[in-house]
Amino acid sequence: MRKVVFISLILLFSGCQKEQITISGKVSEAFYVENAGASMRVLVQGNTASKTFILFIHGGPGISSYFYDTKYINKNIGDKYAIVYWDQRNAGASQGTVNGGNLHLDQMADDLKKVIEVLKFRYGQDMSLFLLGHSFGGLLAADFITRPGYQDMIKGLIDVDGSHNYPLNDTLTREALLTEGNYQISQDRNINNWSPIVSYCISHKGNFSLEESQQLETYATQAENYIDSIKHISVVNIVLKYSIPDKIPLTAVICNFLYTEDSNFNKELDVTQFSTSLNLVTVPALVLWGKYDFTCPLALGEDFYNRISSKDKRIAISPKSGHNMIFQDKQFFCNEVDAFVMSHK
Amino acid sequence: MLKPGIFLIAVLYCTLCYAQCDSINDSSARELNLKLSYNSTVIYPGMSAGMEYPLNNMNMQVFRNHKPVRCVRKGKYISGNLNWYHHPDFHDNLYLTVEWVMRRTRFTGFVSEFSVGPGFSRTFLGGTTYKVDDIGNVSVVKLAGYNYALVTIGGGFGYDFSIVKHLPFSTVAKLNIISMFPYNSTIYFRPVFEFGIRYSPGWLKIKIKKEPVSISKY
Repeated sequence: MRKVVFISLILLFSGCQKEQITISGKVSEAFYVENAGASMRVLVQGNTASKTFILFIHGGPGISSYFYDTKYINKNIGDKYAIVYWDQRNAGASQGTVNGGNLHLDQMADDLKKVIEVLKFRYGQDMSLFLLGHSFGGLLAADFITRPGYQDMIKGLIDVDGSHNYPLNDTLTREALLTEGNYQISQDRNINNWSPIVSYCISHKGNFSLEESQQLETYATQAENYIDSIKHISVVNIVLKYSIPDKIPLTAVICNFLYTEDSNFNKELDVTQFSTSLNLVTVPALVLWGKYDFTCPLALGEDFYNRISSKDKRIAISPKSGHNMIFQDKQFFCNEVDAFVMSHK
Repeated sequence: MLKPGIFLIAVLYCTLCYAQCDSINDSSARELNLKLSYNSTVIYPGMSAGMEYPLNNMNMQVFRNHKPVRCVRKGKYISGNLNWYHHPDFHDNLYLTVEWVMRRTRFTGFVSEFSVGPGFSRTFLGGTTYKVDDIGNVSVVKLAGYNYALVTIGGGFGYDFSIVKHLPFSTVAKLNIISMFPYNSTIYFRPVFEFGIRYSPGWLKIKIKKEPVSISKY
């Protein structure tokens, strides 16, 4: 009897982990990549038969890839290519035990390399792979792509409102807030909201501490709400809309985010920059930016664009987006990504 | 003559109340309870099975203006449970808990309870898990998952059919919060709803350390 129960349990749980690799026009399958104490969830959606994969590197750190997995993206890009949603370590549905000591950029670049190796193991070494980094994902993509030999693993890079240089990012955020704030005040728009932002920027001129950097980021997020032409997005609405259909483990996402947001990792990031090594980048690149992005201002995107050595590169600016173009101007985003991938796959 | 008369009426009245409470004692108070329940997070399925061992039971009558307004049984139990839930693409969680349960049963059969206790969790990841070595060889990890320490705390309501209908079972609806640690160097919380039945089979009668006692409160 005991043996029967034991065998039943083994069959039950091994059944959940049965390897499933689907090559078709409409796929949705999740697997995990285990590395240095973390098991990271990878969800592949869309057209795997196309042999063209776009790997999303989410922002944060600590935000989940679940939030990027929208109906619109799956319908407009996922019908042509496969989209890979990877939850970084200590984020989203990624799991582990005592692994906080491994939460640093070097380790995450190694995680990304291993995720790519597993993708190629599953779907074929001949796949065309594109990296798409958003916000913090832009920093991780910059770290990855400037390592010797790593850019040979991909066909192209898409940088969406990404940050490749945190110290420069802070300086540019301050400048953008100051310029826009003064303009809005001169136009008598949201004076009560802009005044404290402008005052803060005037009194904090540079050489920012982590606290100052975080305050600037908070103001940058708030500032988007004071620009009428931007489409405002609500994380709560996204969660309510997708938590059940996408099977989001909500409490895990929140616990991971709170841990990562408060970890020492942010101190490391605060002084990290890849501007000096971006000249090593030669793969085709698409740089997508929101005109009203104060979190990672447009000047940061221009710095990235000017520094990479890629001969085939393009910068495109959405006139009605802030930091989250993927949601704020989804048609623009999908059209640009589709055109870039189509011509470089 | 009047004082002995009042005394006699009071004694008879109390005896009547005791009689009501005694009918409660004879049910599941001295028995091991078996429990089977649906254990889930709203839409994700799961099961829980366990056994309750009674530690003590106490019957209480509450009087107001010398009239019995309430008769309740307070019981304490140790409960051992094997629980499981399935969250697709995330994990399957098989966890063992030992809970200290405080239960209050009214003479109408209405039950309220609170429980707390430690446990052990073993998760099984919700998808094939791969490992890549330093030279790029990819392999599949069998039965990938993690072991966690666990603490559960919960409360709920139910109905004991043995009180009025003299049937040996009760229903329970509970909300438990399980916390697992160390989960990614932090604590993972998850609300788990439990809907189930407790059955008190006659052949599992046991002797408990403290026999049910009755206390009257004026």
